Amino acid sequence: MDLAEKLEILADSAKYDVACTSSGVDRPGQHGKIGSCAAPGICHAFTPDGRCVSLLKVLYSNSCSYDCSYCVNRRSNDIRRATFIPRELAELTIGFYRRNYIEGLFLSSAVMGNPDLTMERMIEALRILREEYRFHGYIHAKAIPGADPLLVRRLGLLADRMSVNIELPSEVSLQRLAPDKKKAAVLAPMRQIADESRQSRREMQVYRGAKPFAPAGQSTQMIIGASPETDRHIIGLTEALYKKYSLKRVFYSAYLPVVEDSRLPALTTRPPLLREHRLYQADWLLRYYHFSASELLSEEEPNFNPYLDPKCCWALRNPACFPVEVNTASKEELLRVPGIGPKSAQRIIKARRMQHLGLAELKRIGVVLKRAQYFITCNGYLGAHGTRAEIANALLDPKAFGVGVQQLSLDDCMPKALPDAAPELHQLTAEGMDVLQAAALLRQEAVTCITRQM
Amino acid sequence: MHYQADVADVVYRYDGSMQGFLCCVFESFCRKELPAEICSPAEDRLTLYPDREILTDSQRAQRVLAGIERLGGSVKQRFTTAFLSTDPEKERILLRYLRTAFNTGRGVDQMLGDPDVAAAWQLERAVNGEAHHFIEFLRFEERGGMLGAVIHPKNMVLPLLRGHFCSRLPDESFLIYDASHGVAMMRRGDTVRYLEMTDYDPVSDPEELEWQSMWKRFFKALTIEQRRNERCQRTHCPRRFWQDMCEMTGGCLAVPERTVSTAKRSLPGNSSEGTDIRSSTLVTISQTPQ
Repeated sequence: MDLAEKLEILADSAKYDVACTSSGVDRPGQHGKIGSCAAPGICHAFTPDGRCVSLLKVLYSNSCSYDCSYCVNRRSNDIRRATFIPRELAELTIGFYRRNYIEGLFLSSAVMGNPDLTMERMIEALRILREEYRFHGYIHAKAIPGADPLLVRRLGLLADRMSVNIELPSEVSLQRLAPDKKKAAVLAPMRQIADESRQSRREMQVYRGAKPFAPAGQSTQMIIGASPETDRHIIGLTEALYKKYSLKRVFYSAYLPVVEDSRLPALTTRPPLLREHRLYQADWLLRYYHFSASELLSEEEPNFNPYLDPKCCWALRNPACFPVEVNTASKEELLRVPGIGPKSAQRIIKARRMQHLGLAELKRIGVVLKRAQYFITCNGYLGAHGTRAEIANALLDPKAFGVGVQQLSLDDCMPKALPDAAPELHQLTAEGMDVLQAAALLRQEAVTCITRQM
Repeated sequence: MHYQADVADVVYRYDGSMQGFLCCVFESFCRKELPAEICSPAEDRLTLYPDREILTDSQRAQRVLAGIERLGGSVKQRFTTAFLSTDPEKERILLRYLRTAFNTGRGVDQMLGDPDVAAAWQLERAVNGEAHHFIEFLRFEERGGMLGAVIHPKNMVLPLLRGHFCSRLPDESFLIYDASHGVAMMRRGDTVRYLEMTDYDPVSDPEELEWQSMWKRFFKALTIEQRRNERCQRTHCPRRFWQDMCEMTGGCLAVPERTVSTAKRSLPGNSSEGTDIRSSTLVTISQTPQ
C-alpha cells in the first residue's frame, strides 16, 4: 500500500474527531528546529463541510480491537485497514508543515491489541518526530483510556495538547453503546493530565530545566444525539469538566449515523447540527461570559430553544437585569447584553475612559445594535423602544431559518433548507411545503411563541 | 493642545512612500489646512482642485514620525499597518487620524467611538485580517531546496508575513511573491530582501506535484458529506484566496490559473523559461537584516 492511500484511509477514519485546534501555546521558532506555535491557533484550510483543517489529523492505525457500536473503526465493520510506520508519519508531517498546509500533527489511534501497546507505538512515532526530525510545531495527542499512567506521562512530555474522549455524556449510555470503555478508565488519565500539567507549570516557574507537560492543556469530546441526554445534562457535565479537570475545551460532535443498530438512531436521522451549534454557544457563555450552567437551563426547560441563542434566551427570561448603562456598567454586566461580546465589552471599557458613548459610537466599536439596542441605555437614554414582536424579531437567530442554494451538481439550483437549519424546517420541506414559505411560517410561529413568553 | 485647520480646496500629490505621506502631514499642520484629497502617483485621480506637489524631505518626515512615536506604540503601529492598505481613501483617513491623535495625545488609540479613529482602526483591521488569511492559506512549493509561494493580496501584506514565516521556518530559504503588486519577499540565510518581480512559473517537479496530490487526497478524505455546508466554507475561506491554494484548484495535475494572470504583468525582455525562481529577473528594492 503506498503512502498516499494509507494517508487517505487513516484520515478518513480520523475525520469524526472534532478537536482540530492548534491553540493554547505560544512558542517562537528556534534555529536548528522547524516550527512555531501561536496561542490563538491557525487554521490552514476549510473543507466543503465548513470545518477547519488545522492539524494533520490521522489515526496511527485503524485496526481496532474494540467494538463500539457508534464508531466506524469498530472491529466488526468491514473497512480497509492501515497502520503507519513512525518515520513515514514524521516525514509526512514535516513535508506538509514546510508547505504551510498544516499547523502540526493530531495523532490518535484505534486500540491495537491493548491500550499500552498502542500508546507505546504512538509515543515512539512522536519521539522520532520531535527528536530526530526536530519538529517544534504543535502536536495534539490522544491518550488511550486504560493505558498505564507512565505512558500517559511520556506522551504528555512530547505533546502540546492531550485529550481523552469521554464519548458519551453519561455512564449509562457509555455502557450501552461502548461496552469496552469504562467511565473510570476515561476519567483516570484526565485527572492525571490535569495534575501533571498543573505541576509542570509550577515547576517551570521555579526551575530552569523543568519540562512542559501538555502546555496547551487538555480537551475532550462527546457525541450529541446518539443517546437521550438533555442539553441541561450536557452543559452541567461540561461545566463540571471545566472546573474539576481544568479542561481547555469540550467539543461536541453531532451524531452521524454510520451503522444500523437497534440501540442507535435510525440511519436516516439528520445530524443535529443546530443543537450542536447551540451547545457550542452555551460553552462559550461558560468560558468567556461568566455564565453558569444553572442560569442557562432549568428543570422546566431542559433543552435550548432552537430559534434563539442561549444568551438572548437568558436575557428574555431576566428582564430585571436590563437596561444596562454602557457608560458605567461593569464588564460582567456588559457581557450579559445580547449583541455585546468579550471584544466589544473590552473596547467599550477602554473607549469610555476617553469619551461618552452613544449609539453611533457603539456601532463603530462593533456592538451589534440590532440586538443590543433594546437592552442598553446611553447616558440615561434607552437605546430603542420596541414592541415585543419587534424585539423577538430582532433576537431570532437567522441560522435556524437558513435557506440557500447548495450546488452539488450543475443543474441543482433550487433553494433548500441549509444543513444547520432548525429540524422543523427540514420536516416541513420533507412534507412537500415550499422551503421559503416554510421558513416564513416557522419564523412567524417562533415570534408568536417568544412574544407570549415575554 | 488643539491644532486648528480648515478644509482647503487643494489636492496634495506625493510620491506614494511613507516618508512622502509624513511630509504631507507636516504640510497640513504648517499651513493649518485639511487638503480635499491626497493622491499618490499609483492612483491617477482627476480632481477639480488645484494640485500641490509635496516634496519628500526626510528631515520633516523624521520630525513627524518622532511625534507619532511620542503618542505611544499602538498609535504608531496603527498608522504603519494602516499605511499598507491600498484603500483609495487611506491618506485622507490617516491624516484625519493623525490630526485627532496629535490633538488628543496618548490614549487616542482607544477612542474607537470617534469616527476618525474608528476609520483608521478599520483600515488596520482589514490589513491585519488579510495578512492573517495569508498566514493561514499561503501554500509553499519546493523547488531546488527553496520554498516559493504566490499570493494575490489586496493590500501590501508582505511585511506582516515576514515575522511569522521567519520564525516558523528558521533555517529555510523562501520567497513569497505578491503578484498583485509585483513585489517579492525573499529570505535567504539571515537576510530578508524585498524584490521587484514580474513573473513566477508554477512548479512542474514531479516530486512536488506528488506532495500536492497527497495533500489533496487528505483534504478530500477529511470532508464529511452529511455535514456539507459550502456557505460556511466560503465564509471562513473566501473565494479570492482559492486561486493560490492547491487543494481548491481543480484536479491533481491541473496547471494553476496563475500562469495566465502573471504572464500579463511580465515585462518585455524577461524570460519566462527556467523553473528556478532564483534565476528570474529580480531587482533589489531593499535589504534588511532579519
